Amino acid sequence: MNYPAELKYSKDHEWVKMEGDVAVIGISDFAQDALGDVVFVNLPQEGDAVTAGTPFGDVESVKAVSDLVCPVTGTICAVNEDLADSPENLNSDPYGAWIIKVQGVSGQEELLDAAAYEAFCAEEG
Amino acid sequence: MSELKRTQLYDVHVAAGATMVDFGGWEMPIEYPSKIVAEHLYTRHACGIFDVSHMGRILVEGPERVAFLQHVLSSNVMALDLNQSQYAIIPNERGGAVDDAYLYRFEEDRFLLVVNAANTDKDLAHLNEQLKGYDAKMTVITGDWAAIAVQGPKSKEILQILSGGEAVTEPVKNALNTLQFEGRTVRVAKTGYTGEPLGFEVYIESAEAAWLWNRLIELGAKPAGLGARDTLRLEACLPLYGHDMGDDPEGKEIPIFAVPLAKFAVSFSEQKGDFIGREPLEKQFAAFKRIMNRDFSDLTGLPRRIMPITLVDKGVMRAGMPVYKGEKQIGFVTSGTMVPYYRHEGEGLQTVILEETAKRAIGLAIVDSDTIEDDEVQVDVRGKKLRAVIPPYHMRVDAPPFARPIIYRPDEEDNAVGSGDRAPQALELIRKAAENHAWRQEQCVNLIPSEMTPSRAVRLLCASDPSFRYAEHRKIKSFYDADVFYYQGTEFIDQVEQLLVEEMRAFLGCAEVETRCISGQMSNTAVFSALVDWKNRLDRKHDAKRLGYVMNNHIVKGGHLSAQPMGALHDYIAIDPVTERHALVNFPVCKDNIYKIDVEETKKAIEQYKPELIIFGKSMVLHKEPVAAIRKFVDEMGLNTTIMYDMAHVLGLIGDYFQKPFEEGAEIVTGSTHKTFFGPQRGVVGVNYKKGELKYGLWETIESRAFPGSVSNHHLGTQLGLLMAAYEMNQFKAEYQKAVVSNAKSFAKSLKAAGLDVAGDPANDYTETHQVIVSVGYGTGPEVAMRLERNNIICNYQATPEEEGFTASGALRMGVNEMTRFGFGPEEFDKLAQILADCILRGKEVKEDIMKLREGYTEMKYCFTEEQVAGALSELAKKTGL
Repeated sequence: MNYPAELKYSKDHEWVKMEGDVAVIGISDFAQDALGDVVFVNLPQEGDAVTAGTPFGDVESVKAVSDLVCPVTGTICAVNEDLADSPENLNSDPYGAWIIKVQGVSGQEELLDAAAYEAFCAEEG
Repeated sequence: MSELKRTQLYDVHVAAGATMVDFGGWEMPIEYPSKIVAEHLYTRHACGIFDVSHMGRILVEGPERVAFLQHVLSSNVMALDLNQSQYAIIPNERGGAVDDAYLYRFEEDRFLLVVNAANTDKDLAHLNEQLKGYDAKMTVITGDWAAIAVQGPKSKEILQILSGGEAVTEPVKNALNTLQFEGRTVRVAKTGYTGEPLGFEVYIESAEAAWLWNRLIELGAKPAGLGARDTLRLEACLPLYGHDMGDDPEGKEIPIFAVPLAKFAVSFSEQKGDFIGREPLEKQFAAFKRIMNRDFSDLTGLPRRIMPITLVDKGVMRAGMPVYKGEKQIGFVTSGTMVPYYRHEGEGLQTVILEETAKRAIGLAIVDSDTIEDDEVQVDVRGKKLRAVIPPYHMRVDAPPFARPIIYRPDEEDNAVGSGDRAPQALELIRKAAENHAWRQEQCVNLIPSEMTPSRAVRLLCASDPSFRYAEHRKIKSFYDADVFYYQGTEFIDQVEQLLVEEMRAFLGCAEVETRCISGQMSNTAVFSALVDWKNRLDRKHDAKRLGYVMNNHIVKGGHLSAQPMGALHDYIAIDPVTERHALVNFPVCKDNIYKIDVEETKKAIEQYKPELIIFGKSMVLHKEPVAAIRKFVDEMGLNTTIMYDMAHVLGLIGDYFQKPFEEGAEIVTGSTHKTFFGPQRGVVGVNYKKGELKYGLWETIESRAFPGSVSNHHLGTQLGLLMAAYEMNQFKAEYQKAVVSNAKSFAKSLKAAGLDVAGDPANDYTETHQVIVSVGYGTGPEVAMRLERNNIICNYQATPEEEGFTASGALRMGVNEMTRFGFGPEEFDKLAQILADCILRGKEVKEDIMKLREGYTEMKYCFTEEQVAGALSELAKKTGL
């Protein structure tokens, strides 16, 4: 399992990377493995407001559906539309396949660094 | 998870890195690191293996085992022969399902009932309650034997390596067998829960389970978990208890007839007596029949049914989601997910399965019973209504060895034929016909054993005037059986028919002949119809009783279509009330030569079933049929069995070099006149009943079932042609028949020497007929036959007795009859064998070689070639303008 050190992680298994004042958000390697084959991503739209700790979309695997919980509050400024046609990218490249970018970040969930998140996953899994 | 049960293969799954979950109280692999999508796809294109050892396995034995099972199961246990299995539902008193199950009969006096893992305890409590009062015993053997499902197009090949080449089971669904896999005893069933046309479930002693699992992987199978098992069964529309059976998402019990499989699983046979749930099930069945006839006036008997559903919009539907038609909620999704499939391109037999994959959101839903195929509906996916449709099915398995996904597409509009000038099309038709004629007659080597080019004389006569006429006629008793014609201008036609009857009588060696049938299939229909009529002649006040039992050659063992219930027997064969199947029994075949009837086993079957009718004859025919031996046995037994020989393929071989059916004891011979015989395409019936015999009445019935029973205009042109063909046959048969049989033997030996896999018995040079059968590899028959056609070699691919159907066929069927008539001898057939081997084994393009070989052989042999005849033919051609 891969936990890149430059990222922050939420306890809902999303990762966050700050690029200037924009938060790039995706799901962690641990999350994609637990989900199994991702077959569909229900994406939000650019301009949607998001709130930390609430769902902004969902991801469907063969087995089940899981909410995508936003780790930050702000406004969506970009959506990775490639995932509509290639949802399996979340399995093959979880840290490359970002889902949304959020600007005007005004709040966030408690975020863990890589080591703390790895320990958290070890407990869960 | 400590209290969860584990199967014999638990350690193997953990070692493989499987994700283990609680499934019905068992710790089971939901997926391996390969994950569900890959496991699903691998099963569809190669072979997936599934640990199904968690399923409850109950042995049922004791003197009253049948009565007990008839009482607690929905199915007719009496229909289950040794080494067969059947799907069954365990009904409750309300007509709902306690569980669904599979019943296996590996042993004469014991049944194995396999139930769902999660329901095993509940089932046992229910069954034990019912067992009281029956002298029968149930033993749970779940822990003693492990069960591994081996599913997918490569499954048979893999298991056959373990069996050392022995056929694993008969090539039909639900067949069973007990055999050895590398020294270990296994019980194998051709069953499964993936919908794969090739799929097996293997039972093996617990201690050997890991060995078998690992061996299967070594041989190319890959493990698949419960996740893939679920997507595979969903694609096949197989119900899952707890979703599509049991209770619906509102907690209401789903009636058994709401499940499409119920119509196979439920029997109301008298044999079943007052089984559990009979009365409510009969009510459901009555409602089901009304609904299937689209009478939706009263749905109370069966308000909702399980139907397939496909999402049109993007998204995924899950069990429990509401389904709407317009504003009205009509039900719920009961199973749903996204399922992967391989894309395909091309049409029909040329369909190619690509490596590229895609996914589709499909499911099963319980919806109001007035919902019909193609209905547009919506699924409420977490508050959003997505468009969906009710397709007829998600997948088809009638083109083995592959299961074929059916991607829903609405009907396309027909291309309307335009108006306008047809002259260019007319011209085009004529040109193409000329091209086709030259191709088949001058450039192709024709090896289809059921075809024959007739002589020029036959062809000219076929096209001459009587071909447009009518000549209905019937014997009238008031005129001492004189034939009375209904039309004028028919004197010549009358003479021709009388002469034809005389020639055919001489050829067949029998008392009476009917020549008005215009195909072999029609000849059989007329005979079967007459047999039914004759059987019922003394009681016309009731529905006519059909024929039963009838003994024939099984279609997968080379039996002819026209002697099957799916062919000419369709309306004439009874249903056995005990088994609720056609009253049909097949000739047992020899273990070491599946093309040959096993006479001793046949005698046993005759003793058991006392057939009313025995039909010899087949379309994959390498050997003589044992007519004399069976006639002798039937007479010794004192049975009133009619013995018929459908000689469609071998009619032209009747004589010293093959068989003389009437001398051997056949009463009725039918045939088509254009396979080994020289005629145009017609049929014939001959019988050996003589005036004064009781069964002469049957003959008269056959005549009347030919006309007016089957045909009114009996194609008088080809009747004229057939008379010429009969003259040719009676004149030349000795040399022709000798040449055909010796050419076939010689061709078979040459093919074998050239490295091809020739079927049949080497002791008699592989064949005693005009046919030679070559195996080219499982499932490759269609491709090889098309390759040969590109190279001007015309033959047909054929499923051997070990294969599932024509798309899985791995054999070519070839006949030497037509090319023998064009003058081919052993030397030419040897050259042909070399060319065939080049094309089949080495993929060489051989069109030029074939055209060169054919060039010198375009003159018809075994027909009248004298100058005088040729002159008369030219005169006829001139007069008829042909």
